Amino acid sequence: MTKKEDVKTTRHTGKTIDTTRHATPFDTGNIPGPKTARAVMPAVSGKILARAQRPLLIVGSQIHDKEILERVVTIGRRGIQIAAAGNAYKSLTDQKELDVHQVNMHALAAYLCDPSWHGLDKKGNYDLVAFFGITYYYASQIIATLKNFSKIKVISIDKYYHPNANISFGNLKNDIFTAALDEVIAQLPKVKKNF
Amino acid sequence: MEELNIAPSKIEIEALKNVVINIGGIEEEEEEWETMGPTPMPGIADLRNWDYKLLERYKPFYAPYCEMCCFCTFGKCDLTGGKKGACGLGMAAQQARFVTIACLIGCSAHTAHGRHLLRKVLKIVGDREINMGTGINIEAPLTRLITGIKPEKLSDFIPVLEYLEEQIAQLLDSTHTGQEGSNLDYESKAYHAGMLDSLGKEVADLIQIVAFDLPKGDPDAPLVEIGMGCVDESKPVILVIGHNVVPSVAVMDYMSDHGLDERIEVAGICCTAIDTTRYSQKAKIVGSIGRQLRFVRSGVADVIMVDEQCIRADILEQAKRIHAPLIATNDKALYGLVDRTNDSVDDIVAILTSGKEPGVVILDPVKAGEVAVRVVQITHEKRKELVNILTDEEFKEYVTMCQNCDANCIVACPQGLPIGEANKAAAKGDTAPLASLFDPCVGCGRCEQVCKKHIPIVDVILKASLPYVKSEKGMIRVGRGPVLDTEIRKVGAPLVLGTIPGIIAIVGCGNYPNGTKDVYRIAKEFAERKYIVVLTGCGAMDAALYRDKDGKTLYEKYPGDFDGGCVLNIGSCVSNAHIHGAAIKVAAIYARRNIRGNYAEIADYILNRVGACGVAWGAMSQKAASIASGVNRIGIPVVIGPHGWKYRRAYLGRKYVDEDWVVYDARDGSKVQIEPAPEHMLVAADTYQEAIPLIARLCFRPTDNSMGRQVKLTHYMDLSMKYLGVYPDDWHIFVRGEADLPLARKEEYLRILKEEHGWGIDLEAKKILSGPVRKMDVGFDATNLEELIKKNE
Repeated sequence: MTKKEDVKTTRHTGKTIDTTRHATPFDTGNIPGPKTARAVMPAVSGKILARAQRPLLIVGSQIHDKEILERVVTIGRRGIQIAAAGNAYKSLTDQKELDVHQVNMHALAAYLCDPSWHGLDKKGNYDLVAFFGITYYYASQIIATLKNFSKIKVISIDKYYHPNANISFGNLKNDIFTAALDEVIAQLPKVKKNF
Repeated sequence: MEELNIAPSKIEIEALKNVVINIGGIEEEEEEWETMGPTPMPGIADLRNWDYKLLERYKPFYAPYCEMCCFCTFGKCDLTGGKKGACGLGMAAQQARFVTIACLIGCSAHTAHGRHLLRKVLKIVGDREINMGTGINIEAPLTRLITGIKPEKLSDFIPVLEYLEEQIAQLLDSTHTGQEGSNLDYESKAYHAGMLDSLGKEVADLIQIVAFDLPKGDPDAPLVEIGMGCVDESKPVILVIGHNVVPSVAVMDYMSDHGLDERIEVAGICCTAIDTTRYSQKAKIVGSIGRQLRFVRSGVADVIMVDEQCIRADILEQAKRIHAPLIATNDKALYGLVDRTNDSVDDIVAILTSGKEPGVVILDPVKAGEVAVRVVQITHEKRKELVNILTDEEFKEYVTMCQNCDANCIVACPQGLPIGEANKAAAKGDTAPLASLFDPCVGCGRCEQVCKKHIPIVDVILKASLPYVKSEKGMIRVGRGPVLDTEIRKVGAPLVLGTIPGIIAIVGCGNYPNGTKDVYRIAKEFAERKYIVVLTGCGAMDAALYRDKDGKTLYEKYPGDFDGGCVLNIGSCVSNAHIHGAAIKVAAIYARRNIRGNYAEIADYILNRVGACGVAWGAMSQKAASIASGVNRIGIPVVIGPHGWKYRRAYLGRKYVDEDWVVYDARDGSKVQIEPAPEHMLVAADTYQEAIPLIARLCFRPTDNSMGRQVKLTHYMDLSMKYLGVYPDDWHIFVRGEADLPLARKEEYLRILKEEHGWGIDLEAKKILSGPVRKMDVGFDATNLEELIKKNE
């Protein structure tokens, strides 16, 4: 249930940022089973991300747009390690201060399911994966793996409802999506944190 | 019945009176052409040891598309959270079981296709000798490898098909409730189905090559037109759809016999199109599966004739919509139509041209061919006044009706295309966004079914993209068929040593993430880098649609030989057995390995030595699942596009686990730590930019010599930098010594090895002192199989 005080509005258009609406699979047939993601407000996602011990943000081939890219960079600057799947790395090559790793997401998902994996930075596996900006059906399948074959918590902060995540936004319009990402970012430590 | 033993002696037949002699069959003594290996006609468990070798290294990795099981009345069962179904089966095994079933469906399609072809061609052309020409001695490498049979005439494939059919039945049985319980053993069974699939494909293609005299490995096979714009609408048009060429051959024969070659257009979609052009270059190719609905809706076809596989299930409804009669020619796809096989041609022609019935079933291909040709000449005249493309007014009305609600069509679209926004722009006069949807659209029509305003969205996109559609004219070299033994003699050494950096096999369907151009880009990139690029099926067609700045398509620009820097259309889906065949021939011809009934040894050889990588960028069907599993079992990795995750299972290596990458040196049985080469067996990429360096990485093999490794490393690093903007983080693990480093950047790379990876490097002497997993050893005889260790012999 969304609390009234949690509801915010977009800066320019004044629209209500309610990310719990339209929480149906973006790909209409993508109904995996009895257990599906809880739709949450962005502050909830942000708080969970901020509390994680070893979070990993996975982004993909849909982040090249300036508005989205800026938010990826901002999250990275707050200390969250980034796995760049697809061709995402191409837009992040100049961001030297970020901890970015080019990955194949299929292989990454397999590694994440292996508790003995040493992580992208050789410091161990992760306890939480957040993601956005990945081809919808591609992302949906990776998190189906994590949901069923790992203990890692998965939070979708994507524009679309992802039933396989633990928590997700509903299907959002572009302006609500970017505003929601800002709300997530607002919950993260203001200075770079060593996760 | 008692056995009658007759000793070799002279028998006086004259002395026999009133005796009937029945001879059940004559067993001819087979020529001993090669020593029989350990596994002729392997059963389910016979190659399990090899499968487990693969599965230990390339772990099956599951991405459940559905977390429940609804196969039996115990269910539905919820398998989430480690729960088992009522039968005791867990999530991993259920996913593996599902994949096994998918592979069996694919394998059945190819095998049944082969069986159908054999039955028909034995009637039409008789039992022909299998003569593949002077360039081919190993006429059927998969048949020899798997069954131990060396076929000499078409009927020699009968026992091969009997073997296939028996194995398919056994495997399908294993998927029944209460059978297999191990996911790994289901994977072994999926591999088995994949291997059977490869054999079924070879049988099917060789039958049609021999029966219809299709090209037998011709590098200079002729070029034909391809694309939605290449069909001459002013002529009567027969559209053939599917994968079984026999009825289309009958169409071409009837036209030829009656002097109608120039007066009627025969255009095809999917593999029937490819195979028809292998038979007659008078035919044209519309394109791959993704063009099916759009071309049908364009109304160009005056008759639609279908055979089997990848035909829209609603083809009758679509044909009715454009008032084109439908002829179904295969008992696997009958669409509820009346079977007119035994009616006279005149009667059937009258039924179809009068519109009394929207379509008919004709299971006699020769009769179907005659009917199609006679009917099309009449229906063409009747249909001349029909307009199937939307008028400008209708188009405007529809795009204006769209409320851009986004609620239904985008969610229904497998690609999530922004249809509403494009309609909105079109309503304001800008049709470019709508037209831009034409190629990434896979042509499924799901959007139309959910539109609250009942807008015919497929038609709307087609109308907006009409200028593009009309100009879609490419050129494709007709399917050349097998790789010649003589070509293998030439490329065997450079392939195994790595100086030809790899075989890139682009196969499969048209479910691309972003349109057809990706396969063109992938093929072009590797052809320019002197890889051998082979294509089959939808991939072969889609790569032919684009031209370079000089106006040349890939098939016009690059030679059709099996050699570095060449681009080959091998043929239809069933022809991709010849890609397996080429790898097997490398072992047989270059390495002189016995292949007869010797599957595991040859697969082990290919895994460790032949730098090949399959690319199924638009993999969609169950056939694609079985094709990939068959390719994997023989030791060749495959990269699939992002939709490929929906197959639920991949085979992924863990490069960080050293013990996964240990092989034997067959010379003495010592264990050798190797680099992860190839790293994965089945892996998906998101974009073509990600796929290209990944494909290059999967061409590494442990036995590359230093020159070969240099070439492969150069491409891997260049491609990663070009498409991803960064050197790969794992390139160093493929370096065994300074001789492996590309000369042009040797100093730069040595510095990176020293500074970023902590290797011992003498920069002045340009020497690697410490760091590599192993040193290069020119005599290294890598194997995963204990039985191949020479000291054990």
